[in-house]
Amino acid sequence: MFSLNNQAELRKVTISSLITCIYLPSIITVISYKDLLYTVGNGSSFYILVLIFIAELLKSFYLSSGEDAPKRKGSKNRAGDIIKASIYLLGVMFCFFVGIILFGAPFLDNHEETLMLSSLLTLLTVFPLIAHAGIEPAMQLLFGVKNYTRDTVVCMLVNNALWAVGGAWLGAVVIPLDWNKPWQQWPVPCYLGALCGYLMSNVLTVSKVTLMSAATKYPVLNIIVNCLDRLHMSK
Amino acid sequence: MKEKWNFILYLLWFSYLIISAVVMFGHGFLLSRKTLSDVSECVPLSSIGCDGREISNSTGGCSEDEKIRAILLNPDSPLVCPPRSQRVVLILVDALRYDFTEYNADLENPLQYQNKLPVITNLLGKWPNRTRVFRFMADPPTTTLQRIKALVTGSLPTFVDVSSNFAAMEIQEDNILDQILKDKHRAILLGDDTWARLMPARWHRKHALYSFHTWDLDTVDTEVDSKIYNELKKDDWELLVAHYLGVDHAGHRYGPNHAEMARKLSETNDRLEKIIEILPADAILYVIGDHGMTETGDHGGESKAERTAAWFSYYPPGFRADDGAIGKEVQQTNLAATVSAALGRPPPAPSLGYVELPVLPQMTTAGTLLCLTNNLKQISKYLLRYGEESQQVSLDRLTQLLNATRTQIDLASAVYSELELRHYIEDVRLLTDNIRNVFREVWVEFDSLSMLRALLLLLLAIFFNWIISEGVPIERIPHVFSSSFVPSGLIGIAVCIGVCYTAFTLEMLSDLEHAIFLSTGLISGVFTCMLVIMHWDGITQKWYESHPLFYERFARTALFASAAVLVSNSYIIEEGAVLSFLALSVIGLIAWNVRTIKCLGLWVGFGVSLALTRPYLGCREEQGDCWTSDSKNSSNASRAALVLALGSMAAVVSIARRYLDWRGYGFVIAGIFSCAHWAVGWGSLGSPGRSKMLARGAWLVIVCTFFLLLKRDSRGATMPLIIAGLSLYVANTLVLGAAFAPTAGLALLSGLFVLNIVAMIKTDGAGKSALSSRYNSSIACLWALLASYYFYGSGHHATLGHVSWAAVFHAGDPAHLVYGHALSAVLMFISLFGMPLMFGVTTPLLALWSRAGATPVGPRTQMAAVFSLCLKFSLCFAVRMFAAALSATIHCRHLMIWGVFTPKLLFEFGACVAALLGSFIGATLTAWHFTTQHRSS
Repeated sequence: MFSLNNQAELRKVTISSLITCIYLPSIITVISYKDLLYTVGNGSSFYILVLIFIAELLKSFYLSSGEDAPKRKGSKNRAGDIIKASIYLLGVMFCFFVGIILFGAPFLDNHEETLMLSSLLTLLTVFPLIAHAGIEPAMQLLFGVKNYTRDTVVCMLVNNALWAVGGAWLGAVVIPLDWNKPWQQWPVPCYLGALCGYLMSNVLTVSKVTLMSAATKYPVLNIIVNCLDRLHMSK
Repeated sequence: MKEKWNFILYLLWFSYLIISAVVMFGHGFLLSRKTLSDVSECVPLSSIGCDGREISNSTGGCSEDEKIRAILLNPDSPLVCPPRSQRVVLILVDALRYDFTEYNADLENPLQYQNKLPVITNLLGKWPNRTRVFRFMADPPTTTLQRIKALVTGSLPTFVDVSSNFAAMEIQEDNILDQILKDKHRAILLGDDTWARLMPARWHRKHALYSFHTWDLDTVDTEVDSKIYNELKKDDWELLVAHYLGVDHAGHRYGPNHAEMARKLSETNDRLEKIIEILPADAILYVIGDHGMTETGDHGGESKAERTAAWFSYYPPGFRADDGAIGKEVQQTNLAATVSAALGRPPPAPSLGYVELPVLPQMTTAGTLLCLTNNLKQISKYLLRYGEESQQVSLDRLTQLLNATRTQIDLASAVYSELELRHYIEDVRLLTDNIRNVFREVWVEFDSLSMLRALLLLLLAIFFNWIISEGVPIERIPHVFSSSFVPSGLIGIAVCIGVCYTAFTLEMLSDLEHAIFLSTGLISGVFTCMLVIMHWDGITQKWYESHPLFYERFARTALFASAAVLVSNSYIIEEGAVLSFLALSVIGLIAWNVRTIKCLGLWVGFGVSLALTRPYLGCREEQGDCWTSDSKNSSNASRAALVLALGSMAAVVSIARRYLDWRGYGFVIAGIFSCAHWAVGWGSLGSPGRSKMLARGAWLVIVCTFFLLLKRDSRGATMPLIIAGLSLYVANTLVLGAAFAPTAGLALLSGLFVLNIVAMIKTDGAGKSALSSRYNSSIACLWALLASYYFYGSGHHATLGHVSWAAVFHAGDPAHLVYGHALSAVLMFISLFGMPLMFGVTTPLLALWSRAGATPVGPRTQMAAVFSLCLKFSLCFAVRMFAAALSATIHCRHLMIWGVFTPKLLFEFGACVAALLGSFIGATLTAWHFTTQHRSS
C-alpha cells in the first residue's frame, strides 16, 4: 500500500494517524469516566461530534499544508467551496441515514439516535476525504472513476473510512442478544464500533509504517508487514 | 446430453440423504406419545350384588364391605365406583414452588419469597390430621400447558402428542373432567383460560380469563377473588377449579426475589386463610403449584427448582391417618387418580399415577382396597391398550409389567389387618412407580445414539458434496455425470436397501428404517469420497488457482454466520432481522464491487423492499412489547390490507404480463381469480361460498399452468422458470391470505433486484468463462439467505403457537374430500414454506438471467452451471439444517429447548425440504427445456 519513496508524505500520514490514536482514546476515556458513554446516541452528546470535527479539520490542514499553493483556486471561491461541501456532506449523511434504516434500524422512531450515528459515520468517512482532496475528487473516488492507489494520503483516508463502516457493521452484532445491558441500546454498539474501527485502522497504519522503516534494517519484519497488508480493506 | 437426467437423479439422491438423516435425528430427538381415546368406566356399587357380580338378583342383604370383599375375590370383575361423600376445591397457584410454603421463624433476614405463607405452617401445627404438605414433583417440560394436561390426565405429556386431530388444542384423552361428567357431576372453572381451551364445553359455570399478559400481575387474580367466595357458598358443584396466575407472572417479570413476589405471596396467604374459613365441611381443599421456577423466575426446563412445586391439602373432618413425613415427594401424575377417587370415580384411562391415600378421608380397609384395585385395573388396561397401539415399549417389558399388576390385584383379597394393608399400599406404590419409570424412559429421554449417527450422516453428505460442488471444475462436471457414477451410486443404494430388508425379514435387524438410513448414508459417503479422490488433481488445481474476491468470501461467511447463530436463543428469536441484515450486506458488497449508479439504485430498491416487509414480521412471546399490543393475528384483513393486496397483485400481473408468452395467460387468470377471491370474501357483505369457489378456480388454473409448462420451449428454460415462479407467487398469496399477500409481491420484487444485480457482476480474468461468477457459491448463499428471510418476511415465526391454520380452509374445508388430509397438509406446507419453495424453483434463473439474450457458453456448460447452482443452494439449506440439529443436540437440556430450539429445528426442516424440492423442480424444468435447444444448435 505505502511506498517508502515519498518520505515527506509518509511522515505526514504517520503523524496524523498518531494524532488520531491519541485524541480518540482520550475522548472515549473522558466520556466513560463521566459516565456518559451510553448516552452517545442522544443529541446532548453533540459535542463529541464537534470535537471530532475540529480534530479532523486540523488534521486535514496539516495533511495539505506542504502542498503547493497553485492547487488552490484563490480565496474568493473558498466560501462557495465550503457551502458546496456542506451540502454534499448533508447529502452523504442522508444517504447514511437511509442506509442504516435499511439495514434494520427502527424507521418510525429513534430518529435522533440514527441521525447521530449517521453524522458520526459521515464525519469519519467522507469528511476527511473532502477536506483533503476537495469535492470532485471525493465523488470520483466514491464511484471508482479515478484510481487512487498512487496517493498515499488518500489511500490512508479511504482505508480509515472502510474500517469505520466495517466497525459500525460489526457493532450491530451484539444488539439482538437478550442480556439487557446498557451498551446494547441502539445505537451505542454501532457508534462505538465505528470509533473502534477508525481507531484500529489508524493504529494499523502507524504500526505498519514503523515496521516498514524498521524492515529496511531487519528484513525479517517484512513477513509481518505482509500480514498487515492483508488487513487493509481497500483492496 | 445424457448427463442431464443424471444431474436430476443426483439432486434427488442428495435430497434423500439430507432428509433421511434429519428424519433419523427426529426419531431420536422428538419424543412422541400415542394418545388413546379410551375412557375409564365404572359400575356403581349399588348395582352389584352380594356375590360380587353385576346385576345379580340377590336383594341387598349385605353391607358395602361384604360386597367389596366379594368383588376383590373376583379379579376379572369390572371397575367399581368407590363411594363418594366429598367435594373437591382445587386451587392452582401457578408456579408455587415448594420452598414458598415453608415457614422458618428463625430466619433473621428472610428473602422476598420466604416466610410469606405462614397459614400453612400454622394449620399444620394446629390440626396435623387435617393438613398435609407434599413436594409435588413435575415432569419436564415444566410449562403450564403441559402441566395442566398432566394434572388432569395423570399422564406424562411429551412435546408431540400424536393424535388424530393435530390442529385442535382440546385434550383427546380421558381426564378428570370427563370422568366426573359421567356421574352427572358439575365443575366450575375460575381463572386461566388454558383450562377452558384444553377442555371446552365441560364446565357447569366458567369464568375464564386470558392468561398471556405476562406482565399483568393482578387482573386474573382479582377477577377470580371476586367470584370464588360466592362459588364456595353455593352447593351446585362437585369440583371447583381456580387458577391463580399472579405468582407466575411476578416470577416472569421480576424474578422470585422481588418485593412484588412478596406482595403476591402475601395476597395468596390472605386468600387461603379466607378460603379455609368458609370452606364447606364436605369439601377437600387441594392447593397445588403446577411447577416451580428458577432463581430468575423462568420455567420450562428440568432443574430441581422448576420441578419442585407444592401440594397443600386441607380437609376439616380430617384425613386418613398417615405417618408420612411432611414434604415427602409426590409425583404430579398422582393428582388425577386422587381427585377421581375423592369424587367417587376410577382414575382416568391414561393415568399412570396411584391414589395418594394420605390426602383422602378415612375409609374402611375394604374401601381402600377397592380404590387400589381400581387403580391397578385401570393401569393394566392401559398397558394392554398401549401395547396394542404402539411399539414404543418392548412387548417383553409390557408383559412382565402386566403380570406383576395382575398378581398384585389377586393379592388384594387376602388383606385384612391394618399392617397387611400398609404393606399392600407400599407394594402398589412401588409397582406403579416402576411402570411410570418405564414409560418415562420412552417419553422423556432422548435416543442419543441415533441423534449422533444422524449428525454424522449429515456431516458426511454436506462435506463431500461441498467438495464436489466447490472443487470439481465446471468443465469436468458434464463428464463426471455422464459417466457411470450416478447409476452405480443408485445401484449401491438399492443393494443396501435390499440387504437391510432381507436381514429384517430374517429377523436379524429390529429397526428397518434406521438400518436403511444408516447404510445408504454411509454407502453414499463412500461413493462421493471415491469421486473426490478420483478428481483430486482437478480439485486441488482449481483451489490453487482460484483467488476468491472479497464479496465471495463474505457471502460464504455470512451464510455460515446465519447457521452459527442458530446456537443462540436470542438470535433465533430475532432471526428475521439477522437474515435481512446479512442479505443486505452481501448484496451491498456485490454492488460495491460493480460500483455503478444503477447497481446502487438496485441495491437501495432491494433494501427498501426488505424494509417494507418489516410491518408484516411476526411477533413472538419472548419479544415482549409487541406481543401484548398485538392485534395483527386476527384473520380478517382490514380495508387497507385488502387494497394493498389487490394493488400488489394487479401490479405484478400487469407488469409481468408484458414479458410473458402465451403461457402467461394462465398466470394472469389465476391472479384475477385470487383478486376476486379476496374482494368477494371480504367483510360482512362478502359471500364466503363464492369466494371459496373462486379460490378453487385459482388453484385449478395454477395446477394447469404447471402442466402447460411441460410443453417444450424452443427458446430455453428461462421463460418456463419465470412462469413457474410467478405461479408459485400466486399460490403463496392465496394461502397467505389478503392480509399478508403483499409480502409475496415484495419477495418477488427483491428477487428480481437480486437477479439484475447478479447479472451485472463483472467477470474479470480472461481464463474464466463468462458464467463463472454466476454459479459461484456466493450467489447461491445470497439466494438461500433471501429464501430463509422471507419465511419471516411473510409474517411467520418459528413457534408452534404462531402457526395459522386459516390457510387450509381458505378454499373450503378439505376434510370432506377423499385426499383431504393430504391436501390440507400440502396447503399448510405451501403457506409456511412457500417462499423457500419459490426461491428454490427460480434458482436456475441466477445462471440464466440476462438481458442480452443468448449467453456465449454452450448448453452443456450452462446445464452444468445450473446443476452446480442448484446443488449449492440445497447445500446452503443443508448447512443451516445441520446447525439447527447440532444446536438442538447441544441444548437438549436447555431451559428453552421446547420453546425456541425445537420449533426452530422443525421449521428449518420444513424450509430445507421446501428448498430441496424447489431446486429439484427448477433443475428438472431446466433440463426438460434444454433438449430442443441442444438439437437446434
